[in-house]
Amino acid sequence: MRNAMKVARWELKRNLKNKSFIIGLFLTPAILALFLIVPSLFSDDEVEDVHLFITDELNIFDTLTDIAEGEGWENVTIEETNLDHDSMLDVVFRESQTAYLEITEKHMDEGSIPLYINEDVDDSFTFQVRSLEDPINLIQLERLGLTQEEIETIASGVSFDMTYEEDVGASTNEGEVIIESDGLFSGDDPLKRAVPGAFAGIILFSIVMSGMMIFQSASQEKKDKIAEIILSSLSPGELMQGKIIGYFALGLIQVFVWIGLAIPLVMWKFDIAIFEYLFVPELIILLAIAVLGYLLFAALFVGLGATMEDVSTSGNFQGMVLMLPFLPLIFLGPILSNPSGLIAQIGSYIPFTSPAVLIIRLTLLDVWPWVEIALASGILLVSVWIFMKLAGKVFQVGILMYGKNATPREIWRWLWM
Amino acid sequence: MNDVMLSVKNINKTFKTKQVLHDVSFDVHKGEIMAILGPNGAGKSTTIRNIMGIMYPDDGSIIFHNSAGAQIPRNKIGYLPEERGLYKNVKVMDILLYLADLKDYPLDRAKERALLYLKKFDLEGKENVAVEELSKGMSQKVQFIASIIHEPELLILDEPFSGLDPVSQDVFKQEIRAIADAGTAILLSSHQMNLVEEMCDRLFLMNQGQRVIYGTLDEVKTAYANFKCTIHGTNERSLYEQIDHVERMEILDDVATLYLEKNVHVSSWLRQLPETLDIRELVIDRISLHEIFIDIATNKGQTIDSEEGDIHA
Repeated sequence: MRNAMKVARWELKRNLKNKSFIIGLFLTPAILALFLIVPSLFSDDEVEDVHLFITDELNIFDTLTDIAEGEGWENVTIEETNLDHDSMLDVVFRESQTAYLEITEKHMDEGSIPLYINEDVDDSFTFQVRSLEDPINLIQLERLGLTQEEIETIASGVSFDMTYEEDVGASTNEGEVIIESDGLFSGDDPLKRAVPGAFAGIILFSIVMSGMMIFQSASQEKKDKIAEIILSSLSPGELMQGKIIGYFALGLIQVFVWIGLAIPLVMWKFDIAIFEYLFVPELIILLAIAVLGYLLFAALFVGLGATMEDVSTSGNFQGMVLMLPFLPLIFLGPILSNPSGLIAQIGSYIPFTSPAVLIIRLTLLDVWPWVEIALASGILLVSVWIFMKLAGKVFQVGILMYGKNATPREIWRWLWM
Repeated sequence: MNDVMLSVKNINKTFKTKQVLHDVSFDVHKGEIMAILGPNGAGKSTTIRNIMGIMYPDDGSIIFHNSAGAQIPRNKIGYLPEERGLYKNVKVMDILLYLADLKDYPLDRAKERALLYLKKFDLEGKENVAVEELSKGMSQKVQFIASIIHEPELLILDEPFSGLDPVSQDVFKQEIRAIADAGTAILLSSHQMNLVEEMCDRLFLMNQGQRVIYGTLDEVKTAYANFKCTIHGTNERSLYEQIDHVERMEILDDVATLYLEKNVHVSSWLRQLPETLDIRELVIDRISLHEIFIDIATNKGQTIDSEEGDIHA
């Protein structure tokens, strides 16, 4: 282990002194920040004032202005108009930032009140003006001759009263309805899961990406023909372990630099107390899954790197293995639409997809499927162990084979040597 | 000179169905340069890789006499493999210190030695230069320094002269000799027979995975290197054929090389040369190691019995 740590330190130091790594380390968050900031620089946050004209045959203008005030419409000026339909249309289509709401007896009877909006008016106005629909609906009900009590009953509507099993616990009263739910952001603050999930996701992404650098490192070691010199001082197993540890540390440094730069930006841009959401017990499980994912891919890549001298001449087999970290993308759509669905569950049990799939699912789900998590983590753990063993065998033989890339048949033979 | 540092005893190795090492045995002593020779594919690098624990023999044993336990004392061994290189984008001093660190050698001492050897090999001031900026010869020198930086007790050099110009070869030769004189046991594999002949104390010549010759250079020459006489002069072939005790001859224009029988008495043989023989120049010496090697490589030497080849053990 001492030798493995020496290799790890060397790999870390070598990469931290490498200009392209340092440039990538700071350029990646800079580019992301650019994508985040630049559009907002060009977007016009200042919404211009809208002039809303209302024809009011029902005498509800005061009620509507009160509602607008209550809702805090700062950018809308409401004015009652006596002009006829055509004249008002002429005004709306001629003058920018104008809208016209035509509340007439006829339209009330038809149940459809026309709202004409000039094309320059911001889309947010249409959402704003919808808050007038409910009071107009109440007036409609009054016009139908319903009592105040009937109106209130209708207005309050019917809704599900969500109660979760975990909230009720074992002492559920008989007869009480328990609604099973996926708990997809069900009423809770979505950031509660999203922030630790995103953090673990970034860690997984970063360390798997740096894990791909192991592949280059092993392959380069063959190309530079230094492997035999190194192996005169330590065992192939120690060299492999050292690389895995070194690139893990490199990935963590990368992720902490990225997050260190991103957190102040996100806090400034979105005004979110990230640390409160981040440091929760769930983060430990998410991080453990990310680390297992890294170890799996690191084993795969270090073994693969030892079979190749030049990445540009890699065959289909090696190319396919390099694509494995991106396999979870095929599950992304089904997981987002149903994080507890069959596809999501299958993705959780396939070792190559399970780290990313689990992290995405656990980010989306409010209630965690603990049995599935335990089973998937178990499969992942066993897979990591198996792949480490296999990678060790491939690495031992492959790292000293010069002059050509190994064929799948040769790799297969090495596994059983 | 008699302290055995390394003993290789009856090692065998088979790849798939092909046996590449057959009962290979030899010792390397403290302070000597022991050459392991043979044509390409003879099994030299495989033998060395087995010694280094990069691969393991199917049977037989490899004993490091100065080391307790069965573990290979990697820290006490310096190794310059045949297939060698360095990380391209790192500084010379960084890589030398890393390799010394892997051997558990104190870094401050390693730095001192690195600077000393860089100066000795005319690389002074190159310690902060990236390896990729060095010429091939310079890079070879750095590799050599890396193999000796930790003051190994046993130094294994696989083709140390390949790719070197004659000046650098001389520098390497002197340094290898100096290291051996300081007490390091050196196992050296090389194709450059003239260099081996100049440097080595003992040799182990192998072919097709088997020992062919093993002994000191003088013993090998006495046993296997018959005398040969090279005559420059205009003579008919029939005149050469009259000369006794000649095993075979090669005649090219005005130069004839006569290979004499094994136990010929040289001065007597010279006296019986025909008086009519045109001699502008005559050289008589033993067959060189190079010629023995060529004989072995072209299978002429296969007649040497393996037991007979054991001159000195």
